[in-house]
Amino acid sequence: MTLFANKQHQRILALWFPRLPAERVLRQRFGRSWRSRMPATQPPLLFSSRENNTQRVAALDERAAALGLRCGLGIAEARAMHTSVEVIEAEPEADRRLLEALADWCDRYTPLVALDGEDGLFLDITGCAHLFGGERALLDDLLARFFHQGFEVRAVLASTPGAAWAAARYGTDSVIEQGEEAGSIASLPLAALRLNAKICAGLESVGLRFAGAILDLPRAPLVRRFGKIVTLRIDQALGRVDEPISPRLAVPALIMERHFAEPIALMEDIETLVTALSRQLKSELERRGEGAQLLQLQLFRVDGAVARINVATSRPSRDPAVIRRLFHEKLSVCAPDLDAGFGFDLVRLAVMAAAPLEEEQVRLDAAGPDRDGDMTLFADKVRARLGERALTRPQMVESHIPERAARPVSLCAQHSSALHSSSARSAPPPGLAALATAARQRPIRLFDHPESIDITSAEVPEGPPSHFRWRRASYRVAAAEGPERIAPEWWRDGQSGTRDYFRVEDDSGRRYWLYRQGFYDDPEAAPRWFMHGVFA
Amino acid sequence: MSALPEPAYAEFAVQSNFSFLRGASAAEELMVTAGMLGLSAVGLADRNTVAGVVRAWKQAEAGGLRYHPGCRLVFSDGAPDILAYPRDRAGWGHLCRMLTDANTRGEKGAPDLLLEDLFCWGDRMALAVLPQALEQPGALLPLLRRLRDRFGAALRLAIAPDYGGDGRFRIEQAAALADDASLSLMAVNDVLYHAPERRPLQDTLSAIRLKTTVAEAGFALEANAERHLKTPREMARLFRRHPQALAETLRFSAELGFSLAELQYNYPDEPTESGLPPQEELERLTWAGAKVRFPEGLSEKNRRIIEHELKTVGELKYALYFLTVHDIVKFARSKGILCQGRGSAANSLICYCIGVTEVGPHIVNVLFERFISKERNEPPDIDVDFEHERRGEVMAYIYEKYSSRRTALAASVVTYRGRSAMREVAKAMGLSDDAQSAMSGSIWGWSSSELGEREAAAAGLDKADLTTRLVFERANEIVGFPRHLSQHVGGFVITRDRLDEIVPIVKTAMDERKMVEWDKDDLDAIKILKVDILALGMLTCLRKCLTLLEEHYDRPLTLATIPAEDPRVYDMICRADTLGVFQIESRAQMSMLPRLRPREFYDLVIEVAIVRPGPIQGDMVHPYLRRRQKKEKVTYPKPELEEILDKTLGVPLFQEQAMRIAIEAGGFSPGEADQLRRAMATFKRTGTIGNYRRRMIDGMTKRGYEQDFAERCFKQIEGFGEYGFPESHAASFALLVYSSCWLKVYYPDVFCVGILNAQPMGFYAPAQLVRDAREHGVEVRPVDINHSEWDCTLEEAAFDCARIEPRHAEMLGVIKTRCAVRLGLRQIKGLTEESLRKATVQRGDGYVSLYDLWLRSGLNANELEKLAQANAFRSFGLDRRTAIWAVRALDGHTAEDELPLLNRPNQTLRNHEPPTPLPVMPPSEHTIHDYRTLGLSLKAHPVHFLRRRLDHAGITPNACLPSIPDGSCVSVAGLVLVRQRPGKGNAIFLTLEDEGGIANIIIWARGFDRFRPIVMGARFVSVTGKLQSESGVIHIVATAMEDLTSWLSSLSEKAKMPESYGPTDEIKRGIDEDRRKKHRSGSIIQNRKLTEGPATGKEVAAVMPKGRNFQ
Repeated sequence: MTLFANKQHQRILALWFPRLPAERVLRQRFGRSWRSRMPATQPPLLFSSRENNTQRVAALDERAAALGLRCGLGIAEARAMHTSVEVIEAEPEADRRLLEALADWCDRYTPLVALDGEDGLFLDITGCAHLFGGERALLDDLLARFFHQGFEVRAVLASTPGAAWAAARYGTDSVIEQGEEAGSIASLPLAALRLNAKICAGLESVGLRFAGAILDLPRAPLVRRFGKIVTLRIDQALGRVDEPISPRLAVPALIMERHFAEPIALMEDIETLVTALSRQLKSELERRGEGAQLLQLQLFRVDGAVARINVATSRPSRDPAVIRRLFHEKLSVCAPDLDAGFGFDLVRLAVMAAAPLEEEQVRLDAAGPDRDGDMTLFADKVRARLGERALTRPQMVESHIPERAARPVSLCAQHSSALHSSSARSAPPPGLAALATAARQRPIRLFDHPESIDITSAEVPEGPPSHFRWRRASYRVAAAEGPERIAPEWWRDGQSGTRDYFRVEDDSGRRYWLYRQGFYDDPEAAPRWFMHGVFA
Repeated sequence: MSALPEPAYAEFAVQSNFSFLRGASAAEELMVTAGMLGLSAVGLADRNTVAGVVRAWKQAEAGGLRYHPGCRLVFSDGAPDILAYPRDRAGWGHLCRMLTDANTRGEKGAPDLLLEDLFCWGDRMALAVLPQALEQPGALLPLLRRLRDRFGAALRLAIAPDYGGDGRFRIEQAAALADDASLSLMAVNDVLYHAPERRPLQDTLSAIRLKTTVAEAGFALEANAERHLKTPREMARLFRRHPQALAETLRFSAELGFSLAELQYNYPDEPTESGLPPQEELERLTWAGAKVRFPEGLSEKNRRIIEHELKTVGELKYALYFLTVHDIVKFARSKGILCQGRGSAANSLICYCIGVTEVGPHIVNVLFERFISKERNEPPDIDVDFEHERRGEVMAYIYEKYSSRRTALAASVVTYRGRSAMREVAKAMGLSDDAQSAMSGSIWGWSSSELGEREAAAAGLDKADLTTRLVFERANEIVGFPRHLSQHVGGFVITRDRLDEIVPIVKTAMDERKMVEWDKDDLDAIKILKVDILALGMLTCLRKCLTLLEEHYDRPLTLATIPAEDPRVYDMICRADTLGVFQIESRAQMSMLPRLRPREFYDLVIEVAIVRPGPIQGDMVHPYLRRRQKKEKVTYPKPELEEILDKTLGVPLFQEQAMRIAIEAGGFSPGEADQLRRAMATFKRTGTIGNYRRRMIDGMTKRGYEQDFAERCFKQIEGFGEYGFPESHAASFALLVYSSCWLKVYYPDVFCVGILNAQPMGFYAPAQLVRDAREHGVEVRPVDINHSEWDCTLEEAAFDCARIEPRHAEMLGVIKTRCAVRLGLRQIKGLTEESLRKATVQRGDGYVSLYDLWLRSGLNANELEKLAQANAFRSFGLDRRTAIWAVRALDGHTAEDELPLLNRPNQTLRNHEPPTPLPVMPPSEHTIHDYRTLGLSLKAHPVHFLRRRLDHAGITPNACLPSIPDGSCVSVAGLVLVRQRPGKGNAIFLTLEDEGGIANIIIWARGFDRFRPIVMGARFVSVTGKLQSESGVIHIVATAMEDLTSWLSSLSEKAKMPESYGPTDEIKRGIDEDRRKKHRSGSIIQNRKLTEGPATGKEVAAVMPKGRNFQ
């Protein structure tokens, strides 16, 4: 899968992030300088995950490790030992996303970045090092950048992924020259050869405890007992067989990029740059007799985030003006999502798919994937101009308390989720019981704040009033129904009393929704009456 | 308010907390409240179960309330719920059959009841339909008419006010519907709890039931708190337009003539062996047995006792009960299964004569009234212990004899305890998984005591926080609520009539076992026969020992013929050399022995009973010890107590004594004293204990006893309530204590094999048992595929006295061992008995090589590897490592898949391949592997390899502790065997083991927080503290602790790897330094070396015993 034919000089950079989950959380809380900003009161972190019905430590931060806690320990046991630790549920998905973001960010060194397990990356930097002033300089640059972003990383450069991987996790080397692999890994434990725990245990049970112990053993007995994987891993580490890495993103057909000492942030600057880069692309595409069908604008933010903006053309094109207009449309839509932060220090325009370009070119007036001016576009526009909460619609909530029985949800949120997932789902349909309860008569108009009313008399202990005064007017109750008794939601803060609701009709036929809070037989407090809504 | 006549009302729609996760009050609470509210009658109708009716009945009887047991039929085919109350005994039978059918059809815990069942079994019952939704009354009408056609006037339409806003309309609607269907309308309140304060709990239960949180349960929760028991006046107001609906409840009640009392005394009446009537048969057996038990003739006193017992049994018609138990015991004996009666049965000479119990009148004062009393009028409780491995045979016999129609297991009600209550409530309150674990994890063991500040603080939660407070409130309410029914460990219910017409029968997790819906207290109350068929590991051990003794030493003994009152046995007990024996092996017991110095059998009875919560809570232990050690004069609070207390030096230690004090000094009648004892077990449910307390203490002080003594006596009864040991029971157990000690004194080899083969049982792991045997000079030989059987065995061997440890020097000349112990294949972890037994059968004259073994034994590669790892191939000349290497080369699962082309047993596999040099395994590494595969090592104790380092650290070997003066400051170290936090948790006990012995550590609770990480997590620790020695019992009170777990990793050869393989830390640091210099660059940020690699764990430590936690 590598692009480069000359295997002799393959150079692989293995990265290992030993504390990824902890860094994810700490960066969220305290920013990327969490090491200095973290308050002294922040307890050591443990990440728990459920395994066979037991909570176990899945990851931990440095301070927890310093307490002697380890992965795999039961959470209960860990807590019994150190009551002060903070336990967070592990989120492998979030860790994965973070790792992918880190992989994105590493695109700045090479387009050939592969994910390695849950906490590692492989970068094929063959032939790239000179751009950064040599391998050592590239390594320093990378380590410094990650450190400033608040990540601990072990990075090792070697001629095979196996040797780099081993040294990153278990060794002390940083750069392993070609041919030095065996010497580098000999002293490392078996696990450094990327053998699973079962095989390692098997080898250890016969006293073979270090990689060096098996490198030169007779191969046939080894394979017979532990499988081909053992010799394969040895050979991969030592470079006796090729081990390609599989980049996670499609490798662009063509790339134009620009680095900045002073990061840029303005949208106009970006668009100008797109034009400049597309001009450079144009000459290359012309040379190849091709046009771009899919273009990607990659914006590398200073703090490591990478934005990728795709545009597709219905016909191949290499006209900078067209490309610029396409990106203009797209950028104007994406702008709110595109947080420039401290700015972008690398901008790259990549041709992801190209096709032979016909001589005759159809002019595209205006294009973009969003041509139908439907609700989505409308909603997007409204949202873009008036903010997230400009459009809402009510959604039913299962609560007996009338004012909590509905809540506004963002229309846009609904739409955008509908756009992104093919099976767009709104809230789950309410159950039968819910409908029956909801069918209880509620007024057309429910007041945001119940209004106090005065009553002259009411049937005791729990009947409706015969008269009431509301907003300085008197009403005579002609008919009434109730009470509907609603007790407070005891599990929430701010307990209010039980309410008895009545639907009452006055002598002119208008209907009101009243309630009494408190009971007549309560010696502590007299009941109070409120108007909560009107029917029609 | 005008003086209206007080309305009358009976409530029939009542669910208790046996309607699991719906009802939010205990049956007892409902009954007490119903009585207070002045209801004319009350029923209990749980959802498809009658599990709560007996509790309610007892409570209602106590309160003089008219009570009807019933059931709320909840159909799985969509029909509305129907309240079903039997009108008479036949109706009850129908109800039970109907529920049994539904239980059998449905899943465990989810009966599948169909409306058809009601049509089939619904005769002799009063019924009330309780429709939930009345929105479409038309849809209900055909069903009502159908039911009406079948059941006529027995059927009612019940309606409950729901405060839903249209209450009046709903009642009118129901009244109209009743008219249309020509049914009477009956008022109910569809009660879920006894008082409105329980609404939050009911909401929480609903959330738990629906596996959601309270906040998300939405409309599944009730809108208000109205579903509580209401006064007749309140019900009359709610139904003021339909007074006939209230009157109907009284007519309903009047139709019900069934009482649970009608179920009483349903004993099996098998024809007797001799064909005589039961009473005569029992008399015949008793007198015949008496001749055997008293070969020198029956004393006049004992004759009178037997006559008295027989007379009482005859009057109460319990003869069948005795015959039933006798029959079961006879069966077990015929199969050679050891068994022995325990508990209060040992208070009966009949039981002794017919062979149910082994403790005769020469040992304990038989107090027949403790066993059977006319006043109590409850069937006696005979518990019989059987060998734990063979109890199944006895159970199968009972099933076969009585058939599943007449026998089933008793239920045991699994209730919410501290931890489970916390977890479930926290989940329902929406706390995260971690907060849940934190909260429930803060509770040690299972406690039902009030949860509060301490737990909250331990979990790092603020009790002022609303959610936290609510969680604790709800958790405290839910504690004691039944969660589900589970089978009793061995309580068999046997009846004369069909059992499924007495109580519904439920499926259990095990298909062939069925159980009834009532637990043992309920069955006691209903007076149904229950025999406890219990399993006791020590009986298995003893039987195995006796068999070995006969085979290898030609001494055919039985429990009864083991020489009694042997001073050597008591010598050993006094030295607390009791590791592994029955009951007196725990640390608390062991530390008591040198102080108590038992010299005769009755001392053992006391020893067994004294280290129990009863005497400890009653603070009776120390006074007794002082008197026993003659440091205090024996006095009696009052002369009249001398008779009761003389055997225990004036200090009440047994349950019987405490009860008799209540009678003699507290002024209770014998029946009341027994009620008091029983009330203790259930007082958490009813909260009536306060009355008894006042009565007893007042009664005693009035009669001139000291307040302090009275309170202690009461506390003791309180402690006995749940963990009581009556004297008779202690005596039965003491017999096993003596027998096991006798074997251990004379034949430590036999005892070791017996107990290893009866594992798992007891307090100690095989490592300690083997070590103890070796310290007594027994040679223990390792597991080997050519010498070991599945079980551990004895092999002829000379006994070498020199091997006896100095501290057991007294045993020199006492021990009669002439055999060595060969560890069995069962000691190897992860092997199955079946295939290994087959392999030993196939062995013939022995396997000559691994290849031979593979070809002939039928063992697969995985099993062979386990054997290799356990170093079981030394008879082939293969050590652990070469054996594993060779086994690894075998492919396929078993040799049977292979062609027998190379069927030459002497062939070695390695011939075919180039030799592979394997490093030699160092001894410490062998020890680790022994622990990994066997849980013990015969080669050396792990700590042995660390001794030099420990010496440097100034740590005293445990074996030297006895020579260190009391009060000195010492440091000791060892593997953590046991952590214990008994009783109130004032102190934590640790047991540490090193290569020479054991050290007992005490950590006071106030220091615990400081040492918590070490106490809970470490496997190898050092402790510094003050040595306390009393009567040879040595404790060290910890003042400092250190976690040495990491030292264990130095046992592994990994730590000793050759320099070329891996630099030690110091060297590594140097290399790092060099490299840094070599590759110096502008950037200050370098690859940092982590403290540990990703995969290195505490592997060695993980192999070592984790330490067991006891409370």
